[in-house]
Amino acid sequence: MTDLLGLVWAGVVSGCLYAMGALGIVLIYKSSMVVNFAHGNLAGLAAFLVFGFTAGILGHMAWGAAVMLSLAIMVGAMALTYLLIAPLVFKSDLTSTIATLGVGLIVQGLTQMVFGSDVVSLELPLPSWRMALGPLRVSAYDLAVLAVTALAVGALYLLIERTRVGVAFRAVSANPFASRVCGLSLRRIHLFAWIVAGLLGLVASLLIVPTTFLSSTSVAAFMLQAFTAAVVGGFSSLPGAVIGGIFVGVLMNLLSFYVAAEFTNTYMLAIILLVLNLFPRGVLSARGGARV
Amino acid sequence: MVHAVPAAESGRAGAARGLPWTGMALGAALALLPALAGGYWTFTLGLCFANAIVILAVSFVVRYGGEVSIGHGVFAAVGAYTVALAERYLGVSLLVSLPLAAVAGGVLGVLFAYPSRNLSGIYLAVATMALALALPEVLLYFSGATGGYEGLYVKRDAIPGVSRELQRYYLPLAGLFAVVLLLRHFRRSRQAMALLLIRTSAPAAESFGVRRGWARLSCMAASGGIAAIGGALLAFSSSTVSPNSFTLWTSIFLLVGSVVSLYSLSLVGSLVGGIFLTLVPLVLAGAGNWVPILYGGALMAVVLGANALPASVRRRLEGGHA
Repeated sequence: MTDLLGLVWAGVVSGCLYAMGALGIVLIYKSSMVVNFAHGNLAGLAAFLVFGFTAGILGHMAWGAAVMLSLAIMVGAMALTYLLIAPLVFKSDLTSTIATLGVGLIVQGLTQMVFGSDVVSLELPLPSWRMALGPLRVSAYDLAVLAVTALAVGALYLLIERTRVGVAFRAVSANPFASRVCGLSLRRIHLFAWIVAGLLGLVASLLIVPTTFLSSTSVAAFMLQAFTAAVVGGFSSLPGAVIGGIFVGVLMNLLSFYVAAEFTNTYMLAIILLVLNLFPRGVLSARGGARV
Repeated sequence: MVHAVPAAESGRAGAARGLPWTGMALGAALALLPALAGGYWTFTLGLCFANAIVILAVSFVVRYGGEVSIGHGVFAAVGAYTVALAERYLGVSLLVSLPLAAVAGGVLGVLFAYPSRNLSGIYLAVATMALALALPEVLLYFSGATGGYEGLYVKRDAIPGVSRELQRYYLPLAGLFAVVLLLRHFRRSRQAMALLLIRTSAPAAESFGVRRGWARLSCMAASGGIAAIGGALLAFSSSTVSPNSFTLWTSIFLLVGSVVSLYSLSLVGSLVGGIFLTLVPLVLAGAGNWVPILYGGALMAVVLGANALPASVRRRLEGGHA
């Protein structure tokens, strides 16, 4: 029982990060109907940028400055990615999805070229504080992850529900044609979604690093969990992505503890296939009917 | 999706022609090549042919299914490991295990596509990605049978009495010819028409009694089988199989090859893809990090370039088939 609670707690913590990755994927898919397979590579590059700015490869900066600069670069990178595939977006969902793989390959190559393919360690500036809360062992890292996720999800909620651009985003994802007739710029909304997704990816990839390690492929691999979370949530539901992320995080922890630890990706495949059979439209089927 | 409609309409006329002269001339030239070129080139080209077959399988899914797969390395791996395991445990050569490999690939295709048969293609793409990432874990877990990281050797000659170099060249070449001819023939079949109809308009196809789930399953089965044939020949030509040659990157590179060939199902197109996929890493052997950038750049250039062309030119470039 003690094991179980600890595992669930750790699963919720990492699930929050999967949720942030999944939110980005869903934001992009909802607005522009593109599955962004470059998401992991872009987020990985962002984490490496922070590493580069703090560890002396690109400069010696304080943490705050490095994160801010990386966020700014990420805005540019996501905008550039979207602009690259922009000519395809309205013509074919299939082709634009394939094009994101091209972007992913380029980003992957760039990351390897600048930072090498070795494993590096990136320490977050967190106090090494921890306490026992009954059977749970809570560390500063856990609380930081939960706080940042709550902040990010809360900000996203306010952004989508309360601001003009959020209303526009919802309109575009509900009916692009009608939104255009009403004078909304689809491109601008797409760009908004891509940039927000990129920022969420950066935050998630920074926070995931202490639990694994940072190499040119580790974040891209972590994104499979985010994709699974998105599938569990139905791929076009933002609350679904959050629930899916936490579900995947908890289930992963339980499976690797009680069954076998070396099958991470196989579990993901099994979860995807099972969910597709049991809940074809995700556990929260908010929007009926997937676009074909 | 948008350009699928004219392609489907003009495809009938394109497929009704005989074998194109370019394909036949190219085939004859390739058949005579080992007499002129050295062992290095026959070996490399053998790998090109095998890769071209797998690329055909990826293009098949794009053309007939309207979906993208980033997990076809897995189907190729099934074929490759079938050949290696059949040699190890049954002691049979490629000629016996090749049909087994094709069946195994087809079965995996069905098993895998079944859960997502009624859903939009994005689920298939994500599931293929998970499949590609899961494969190395499974292979390493069963390392007693699969040889773990080191993999297995494929040593047995398929045709006794013929030099090994020539076998490794001619068998993939023959396989490529056979698959291309089969695909040409398939294009005229009722099943192909049904698949194209369902791509063009699912409601229309449903009203003719063609079910979408069935289309997805049959498409993945055929594609999985073709990919497994390619993988089997790849294992035979390179004489080894190991988990390293079937990672997610392999699958993504296969998709790049398919894009570079403009999803062509013809001999020339698939060869362009196969040669691109096999030769680029060899040419750029000293600059490992440039390979993904170059592949990604090529993918973007082809996709954006093809998009910029007028529709009529694009259709002609794509060969007018399927």
